[in-house]
Amino acid sequence: MKTGRFEQQPTTNTVEEPLDLIRLSLDERIYVKMRNDRELRGRLHAYDQHLNMILGDVEETVTTVEIDEETYEELYKSTKRNIPMLFVRGDGVVLVAPPLRVG
Amino acid sequence: MSLRKQTPSDFLKQIIGRPVVVKLNSGVDYRGVLACLDGYMNIAIEQTEEYVNGQLKNKYGDAFLRGNNDTRHALYPVCDLISNFCTSAPRRGKSSEDHFEFI
Repeated sequence: MKTGRFEQQPTTNTVEEPLDLIRLSLDERIYVKMRNDRELRGRLHAYDQHLNMILGDVEETVTTVEIDEETYEELYKSTKRNIPMLFVRGDGVVLVAPPLRVG
Repeated sequence: MSLRKQTPSDFLKQIIGRPVVVKLNSGVDYRGVLACLDGYMNIAIEQTEEYVNGQLKNKYGDAFLRGNNDTRHALYPVCDLISNFCTSAPRRGKSSEDHFEFI
Protein backbone atom coordinates (compact mmCIF):
# COMPACT_ATOMS: atom_id res chain seq x y z
CA MET A 1 0.00 0.00 0.00
CA LYS A 2 1.42 3.34 -1.00
CA THR A 3 1.86 6.03 1.59
CA GLY A 4 1.48 9.71 1.03
CA ARG A 5 1.34 12.67 3.33
CA PHE A 6 -2.23 11.68 4.00
CA GLU A 7 -3.52 8.19 4.47
CA GLN A 8 -4.12 6.42 1.21
CA GLN A 9 -7.33 4.68 0.38
CA PRO A 10 -7.11 0.88 0.79
CA THR A 11 -6.18 -1.12 -2.28
CA THR A 12 -9.54 -2.90 -2.31
CA ASN A 13 -11.52 0.12 -3.48
CA THR A 14 -12.31 0.52 -7.14
CA VAL A 15 -11.79 4.29 -7.42
CA GLU A 16 -8.94 5.22 -9.68
CA GLU A 17 -6.43 7.79 -8.66
CA PRO A 18 -6.15 11.09 -10.51
CA LEU A 19 -2.82 9.91 -11.97
CA ASP A 20 -4.51 6.84 -13.41
CA LEU A 21 -6.90 9.11 -15.22
CA ILE A 22 -4.04 11.18 -16.62
CA ARG A 23 -2.75 7.95 -18.09
CA LEU A 24 -5.86 7.90 -20.26
CA SER A 25 -4.64 11.15 -21.84
CA LEU A 26 -1.34 9.65 -22.99
CA ASP A 27 -0.69 10.41 -26.64
CA GLU A 28 -3.60 12.83 -26.62
CA ARG A 29 -3.43 16.57 -26.81
CA ILE A 30 -3.81 18.22 -23.42
CA TYR A 31 -3.95 21.64 -21.86
CA VAL A 32 -1.62 22.40 -18.95
CA LYS A 33 -1.94 25.42 -16.70
CA MET A 34 1.31 26.36 -14.99
CA ARG A 35 2.45 28.84 -12.40
CA ASN A 36 3.54 32.30 -13.50
CA ASP A 37 0.56 32.64 -15.85
CA ARG A 38 1.77 30.11 -18.37
CA GLU A 39 -0.28 27.68 -20.39
CA LEU A 40 0.81 24.81 -22.56
CA ARG A 41 -1.04 22.95 -25.26
CA GLY A 42 0.66 19.86 -26.56
CA ARG A 43 0.64 16.09 -26.96
CA LEU A 44 1.35 14.15 -23.80
CA HIS A 45 4.09 11.61 -24.41
CA ALA A 46 5.06 10.79 -20.84
CA TYR A 47 4.43 11.77 -17.23
CA ASP A 48 5.31 10.66 -13.73
CA GLN A 49 4.00 10.99 -10.20
CA HIS A 50 5.57 14.45 -9.83
CA LEU A 51 3.70 15.51 -12.96
CA ASN A 52 6.96 15.94 -14.80
CA MET A 53 5.86 15.62 -18.42
CA ILE A 54 7.19 15.21 -21.90
CA LEU A 55 5.06 17.20 -24.31
CA GLY A 56 5.39 17.20 -28.06
CA ASP A 57 4.28 19.84 -30.55
CA VAL A 58 3.76 22.40 -27.82
CA GLU A 59 2.38 25.89 -27.93
CA GLU A 60 3.27 27.90 -24.83
CA THR A 61 1.26 30.99 -23.94
CA VAL A 62 2.63 33.49 -21.41
CA THR A 63 0.07 36.05 -20.24
CA THR A 64 1.06 39.38 -18.77
CA VAL A 65 -0.96 42.31 -17.47
CA GLU A 66 0.25 45.81 -18.02
CA ILE A 67 -1.40 48.57 -16.07
CA ASP A 68 -1.42 52.00 -17.67
CA GLU A 69 -0.20 54.41 -15.02
CA GLU A 70 -2.49 57.20 -16.13
CA THR A 71 -5.73 55.47 -16.95
CA TYR A 72 -5.16 52.42 -14.68
CA GLU A 73 -6.33 50.36 -17.60
CA GLU A 74 -5.43 46.68 -17.55
CA LEU A 75 -3.85 45.58 -20.78
CA TYR A 76 -3.62 41.80 -21.15
CA LYS A 77 -0.86 40.59 -23.40
CA SER A 78 -0.07 37.05 -24.35
CA THR A 79 3.12 35.79 -25.91
CA LYS A 80 3.14 32.48 -27.71
CA ARG A 81 5.93 30.24 -28.85
CA ASN A 82 6.09 26.80 -30.39
CA ILE A 83 8.36 24.04 -29.12
CA PRO A 84 8.64 20.66 -30.86
CA MET A 85 9.59 18.64 -27.77
CA LEU A 86 9.51 19.83 -24.18
CA PHE A 87 10.28 18.52 -20.72
CA VAL A 88 8.06 20.10 -18.10
CA ARG A 89 9.14 20.00 -14.46
CA GLY A 90 6.22 18.91 -12.36
CA ASP A 91 6.44 21.45 -9.57
CA GLY A 92 5.33 24.21 -11.92
CA VAL A 93 2.18 22.40 -12.98
CA VAL A 94 -1.13 23.58 -11.55
CA LEU A 95 -3.77 21.89 -13.71
CA VAL A 96 -3.99 19.33 -16.50
CA ALA A 97 -7.10 18.98 -18.70
CA PRO A 98 -8.20 18.07 -22.20
CA PRO A 99 -7.76 21.01 -24.59
CA LEU A 100 -10.11 23.87 -23.88
CA ARG A 101 -13.22 24.45 -25.89
CA VAL A 102 -13.55 28.20 -26.20
CA GLY A 103 -16.84 29.75 -24.99
CA MET B 1 -21.06 25.14 9.83
CA SER B 2 -19.68 22.23 11.81
CA LEU B 3 -16.22 20.76 11.79
CA ARG B 4 -16.02 17.05 12.37
CA LYS B 5 -12.93 15.23 13.58
CA GLN B 6 -12.17 12.29 11.37
CA THR B 7 -9.25 10.58 9.79
CA PRO B 8 -8.17 11.92 6.42
CA SER B 9 -9.08 8.70 4.65
CA ASP B 10 -12.61 8.84 6.01
CA PHE B 11 -12.84 12.38 4.73
CA LEU B 12 -11.61 11.27 1.31
CA LYS B 13 -14.22 8.54 1.07
CA GLN B 14 -17.04 10.84 2.03
CA ILE B 15 -16.50 13.71 -0.33
CA ILE B 16 -15.90 11.81 -3.54
CA GLY B 17 -18.84 12.37 -5.86
CA ARG B 18 -19.89 15.59 -4.17
CA PRO B 19 -19.81 19.04 -5.70
CA VAL B 20 -16.77 20.87 -4.43
CA VAL B 21 -14.96 24.15 -4.65
CA VAL B 22 -11.20 24.05 -4.78
CA LYS B 23 -9.59 27.34 -3.87
CA LEU B 24 -5.98 27.76 -4.83
CA ASN B 25 -3.63 30.18 -3.14
CA SER B 26 -3.31 31.99 -6.45
CA GLY B 27 -6.92 33.13 -6.06
CA VAL B 28 -8.44 30.85 -8.69
CA ASP B 29 -11.55 28.81 -7.91
CA TYR B 30 -12.42 25.51 -9.47
CA ARG B 31 -15.96 24.23 -9.05
CA GLY B 32 -17.12 20.81 -10.09
CA VAL B 33 -17.87 17.27 -8.97
CA LEU B 34 -15.01 15.55 -7.21
CA ALA B 35 -14.11 12.49 -9.27
CA CYS B 36 -11.19 11.24 -7.18
CA LEU B 37 -8.21 12.28 -5.17
CA ASP B 38 -5.14 10.59 -3.76
CA GLY B 39 -2.88 10.73 -0.73
CA TYR B 40 -0.89 13.62 -2.15
CA MET B 41 -4.03 15.70 -2.65
CA ASN B 42 -3.87 15.43 -6.41
CA ILE B 43 -7.49 15.96 -7.46
CA ALA B 44 -9.61 15.02 -10.45
CA ILE B 45 -12.76 17.08 -10.94
CA GLU B 46 -15.51 16.62 -13.50
CA GLN B 47 -17.37 19.42 -15.27
CA THR B 48 -15.05 21.99 -13.84
CA GLU B 49 -15.60 25.69 -14.01
CA GLU B 50 -12.74 28.05 -13.38
CA TYR B 51 -13.46 31.32 -11.64
CA VAL B 52 -11.04 34.21 -11.48
CA ASN B 53 -13.11 37.19 -10.33
CA GLY B 54 -15.72 36.37 -12.97
CA GLN B 55 -16.10 33.17 -14.90
CA LEU B 56 -13.18 32.62 -17.26
CA LYS B 57 -13.11 29.17 -18.72
CA ASN B 58 -15.25 26.07 -18.82
CA LYS B 59 -13.54 22.75 -18.63
CA TYR B 60 -15.61 19.74 -19.48
CA GLY B 61 -14.54 16.25 -18.65
CA ASP B 62 -11.80 15.76 -16.14
CA ALA B 63 -9.51 18.44 -14.82
CA PHE B 64 -6.54 17.34 -12.74
CA LEU B 65 -5.21 19.59 -10.04
CA ARG B 66 -1.77 18.93 -8.64
CA GLY B 67 -1.44 18.66 -4.92
CA ASN B 68 1.69 20.22 -3.57
CA ASN B 69 3.13 22.24 -0.72
CA ASP B 70 2.86 25.77 -2.02
CA THR B 71 -0.63 25.71 -3.38
CA ARG B 72 -3.19 25.23 -0.69
CA HIS B 73 -6.43 23.62 -1.66
CA ALA B 74 -9.41 24.54 0.41
CA LEU B 75 -11.71 21.74 -0.48
CA TYR B 76 -15.24 21.89 0.68
CA PRO B 77 -18.54 20.59 -0.60
CA VAL B 78 -20.91 23.37 -1.54
CA CYS B 79 -24.36 21.96 -1.10
CA ASP B 80 -26.73 24.90 -1.18
CA LEU B 81 -24.80 27.15 -3.48
CA ILE B 82 -24.60 24.83 -6.43
CA SER B 83 -27.51 22.52 -5.81
CA ASN B 84 -28.97 23.45 -9.17
CA PHE B 85 -25.53 23.29 -10.78
CA CYS B 86 -24.82 19.72 -9.82
CA THR B 87 -27.05 16.95 -11.10
CA SER B 88 -26.14 14.39 -8.49
CA ALA B 89 -27.80 14.83 -5.14
CA PRO B 90 -25.68 15.30 -2.04
CA ARG B 91 -25.09 12.25 0.05
CA ARG B 92 -27.99 11.14 2.19
CA GLY B 93 -28.21 12.03 5.82
CA LYS B 94 -26.82 15.40 6.72
CA SER B 95 -28.34 18.69 5.76
CA SER B 96 -26.68 21.59 4.01
CA GLU B 97 -25.17 22.59 7.32
CA ASP B 98 -22.67 19.83 6.94
CA HIS B 99 -19.44 21.46 5.75
CA PHE B 100 -16.07 19.82 5.74
CA GLU B 101 -13.23 22.27 5.57
CA PHE B 102 -9.85 20.89 4.70
CA ILE B 103 -7.17 23.47 4.30
